[in-house]
Amino acid sequence: MDWRDFYIYHLGKVNESVRSWLSAHAAGWTAYVVPAILGAILLLVFLLPSQLMVVWIERRLIARFQIRRGPNRVGPWGLLQSIVDAIKLLSKEAIMPRYADKWPYLAAPVVGFIPAILVYAVIPFGPDLAFADLNIGLLYLVAIGSYSVISVFMAGWASSNKYALISAMRSVAVLVSYEIPNVLALVGVILLAGSLSLTDIVRAQSSGSFTWFITVQPLAFLIFFITASAEVNRTPVDLIEAEQEIVAGHHTEYSGMKFGLFYVAEYTSILAACAVMSTLFFGGWHGIPWLERYIPPWIWFIAKIYIFFAVFIWTRATLPRLRIDQLMAFAWKFLIPLSLLNILVTAVEVLLIDNTTLAPAVWMTLLAVVNYALAALLIVAWSRAFRMPRRRSADIPEVRRLGALPAETPSY
Amino acid sequence: MITDGAAFAFWVLAVGTCLAALSVVLLRNIFHAALLLVLTFTGVAGIYIVLSADFLAGVQLLIYAGAISILIIFAVMLTRRPVMTGGFSRFSISAAIVAVTLVIALIWVTVGLTDWSISSESPIQPTTAPLANALFDRTNGWVLPFEVASIVLLAAMIGAIAIVKDK
Amino acid sequence: MLKTEPYVLNMGPQHPSTHGVFRMELLLDGETVVDMRPIMGYLHRGIEKLSEERSYTQCIPFTDRMDYLSSMTGNLSLCLAIEKLAGIEVSERAKYLRVIMAELQRIASHLFGVGTFIDDCGASGTPFLYMLREREKLIDLFEMASGARLTYSYIRPGGVMRDVPDEFWPAVRRFVAEMPRYIDEYEQLLTGNEILRARTIGVGILPREQAINASASGPVLRGSGVKWDLRKADPYCVYDRFDFDIPTGKQGDAFDRYFVRVQEMRQSVRILEQAIRDIPSGDPLPKVALFFHPPAGDAYGRSETPRGELGFYLVSDGSIAPYRFKIRSPSFINITALCDMVVGWRIADAVAITGSIDIVMGEVDR
Repeated sequence: MDWRDFYIYHLGKVNESVRSWLSAHAAGWTAYVVPAILGAILLLVFLLPSQLMVVWIERRLIARFQIRRGPNRVGPWGLLQSIVDAIKLLSKEAIMPRYADKWPYLAAPVVGFIPAILVYAVIPFGPDLAFADLNIGLLYLVAIGSYSVISVFMAGWASSNKYALISAMRSVAVLVSYEIPNVLALVGVILLAGSLSLTDIVRAQSSGSFTWFITVQPLAFLIFFITASAEVNRTPVDLIEAEQEIVAGHHTEYSGMKFGLFYVAEYTSILAACAVMSTLFFGGWHGIPWLERYIPPWIWFIAKIYIFFAVFIWTRATLPRLRIDQLMAFAWKFLIPLSLLNILVTAVEVLLIDNTTLAPAVWMTLLAVVNYALAALLIVAWSRAFRMPRRRSADIPEVRRLGALPAETPSY
Repeated sequence: MITDGAAFAFWVLAVGTCLAALSVVLLRNIFHAALLLVLTFTGVAGIYIVLSADFLAGVQLLIYAGAISILIIFAVMLTRRPVMTGGFSRFSISAAIVAVTLVIALIWVTVGLTDWSISSESPIQPTTAPLANALFDRTNGWVLPFEVASIVLLAAMIGAIAIVKDK
Repeated sequence: MLKTEPYVLNMGPQHPSTHGVFRMELLLDGETVVDMRPIMGYLHRGIEKLSEERSYTQCIPFTDRMDYLSSMTGNLSLCLAIEKLAGIEVSERAKYLRVIMAELQRIASHLFGVGTFIDDCGASGTPFLYMLREREKLIDLFEMASGARLTYSYIRPGGVMRDVPDEFWPAVRRFVAEMPRYIDEYEQLLTGNEILRARTIGVGILPREQAINASASGPVLRGSGVKWDLRKADPYCVYDRFDFDIPTGKQGDAFDRYFVRVQEMRQSVRILEQAIRDIPSGDPLPKVALFFHPPAGDAYGRSETPRGELGFYLVSDGSIAPYRFKIRSPSFINITALCDMVVGWRIADAVAITGSIDIVMGEVDR
């Protein structure tokens, strides 16, 4: 065991050296189990403080947007606010509605939380710093991500609350619709990198022929950003828990730590979305070249995650919310056609690159210029053609025929 | 019987999946059944992973656990009464006979007629590229059937929209 | 088409966006509103009856607690009615002070109304808190004048409670000078916002005829394109001396009601500029005793509050207290048109449309 492996710059080498030491000196199974546990602990060391920090950052930052001060009473700058909130949640009474469907009701927060954590397994924090560097990494991400619908649906259905049920309906409609452009936006990156493994995708972004994929995939990034904010419930598209309409959506009837688990799962998936965005489009653990020697890769990566989180807060602080039919129309009529066009264009480009004799720097610049121009053109042209639905959903007489409230007011 | 980690994982997954599948059939609450179906699909994906078919496992999760089960849950939501409390239908005996016959036939075909020799080759590691080559190879691939299937699916989707949309 | 069964959703009285304790009984087909019934009365305090047991001056604090977002205009409406009933004269300076207070109050109330409306459209509070920043300055002004920050009881029969202190004038001048820039800021953030436009343009249309038939008033009526404002149509105080416009909407949708409010804030700033310039010196205090006996008879006094025509119908039997005290509250009458606006729209629209009417439950239920 070389103690230089434990230098903080190469955090990824720690596990590797532990594994090789164990396989040489201990029973065979320990070489599998111990590094796995170490990795899990490392992930939790990032995730749990991040949970608390992120909530604090969001509240402080959104307070700055809103000319307030935000939490500043508990601890220095209010840093301990999240801990106090967590203690409060833990000590709250757990109330369950009498007509709730017990097992789905209790299982829903757990079903929501586990996939949110599982996503981190494939995210590379540094060159050797992915918990499991699956070669189907992206597919795994998408597959695990699709479980959040089930959690929302279980909670919504089992609560026996109409707001929760509406939220469940919305979640199925929205998440299934936004899954499509979300995955299609990823295809452009996969085509360029030639791999599903997240580590390979990051490596492809520094392989000399490519720089960060944001330079050649602007449209895919925009689409991915919008769909990701829909999947993790951020404001312009947070219809699943639209406070002004359906109170708290699927977790209306949850209290105490059951609610806390939903809350934590939500922030975990937001961080995961930020991590995926920085992995796919912003060079993952790569940083500014002349600073990379001094700052370890995992710090670059975490910094990128937090920057994207700040962008999410920014959009949340600025924008009102879309309506459900507008949101659906936006996915099907705007995002999906554009992401399909993006795949077509990228595929043609990849074919051309394979057969080109130009220097990488030349065709990279060419590609960037073409793709940005095309993205701008497509967005402008499509938004001219695309109109948000503004009509009533049906004529009034037709709607009226569907029914009427009983004439007398029910007794209170 | 349990010799290494893979075998242990297989037995846990197999027993879990079978229990979940049985509950899907036997539970009266259709919503619970749909949720357990998700668990069953997930267990099957786990078995794929044990068999080193990682791409297939991902697809299994995405398509079956993510999409098909959502469809089923959607169908459950559209039913009038989600909790079925009624007794067995009057066709229960004949249905049981048909089902048992089919199951026996299936087991006979799959278990009895399969050559259970164990290959000594180690599994292909990244399965994604070999799968793609097998599907889309220019000479002996399955491009045409693949495209035909896509068109059939597209037609089905358009048909569904046409049926649901009034006017 | 798949046929599904409509279901009833009780929205409120406890709900994040029903402006207090308003309750909507919605019949929904999926998310589409099929039928809707407004249910009021959760905040009923019997103000009309309580007032019949009190002297005219003692009734004024009740008007603070009706429309608690615009207490000044509530005070003003009642005082106009009382003065008409008892034939009380008001000094010039008091009239100007009343106009200044009413217009400041209109801005404060519209800031709050627009802010909550944007919140109802799903914004997470940023525009709302920007608007509260300016409202805070207004509340400081009112505190200077009356000593209270919400329930002022500043306007009294025959004048005002007391003359404003000297530091009021520089503060109000600064506010009037700054305000147009702030309104520009709101408009920059909101009026051109594509999401807000998609959510509100063409949504919740109240046609012109229907608005008139429903006896709607205020921005709800003007949003539907009716040029009707009591400050022009039936001038009280000294409104006929000022130069200002009545902004109206085109089609009567939620966006028009929002836009009318923003434009009204600009007009209020115009009125304030003129009123501050022209205000005469003198004594604004009432020349009547706190308790008085108006002659037997009746009178109806009204003024244009931020929500519309707030009227008080008083019947006197010559005693110290009103014999009958009837309130025509604009929020209550405007909300009766809600059903026709929301049917056919989604739940989210129902919330936004309710927000665009800008109700205050204290006034609806009284």
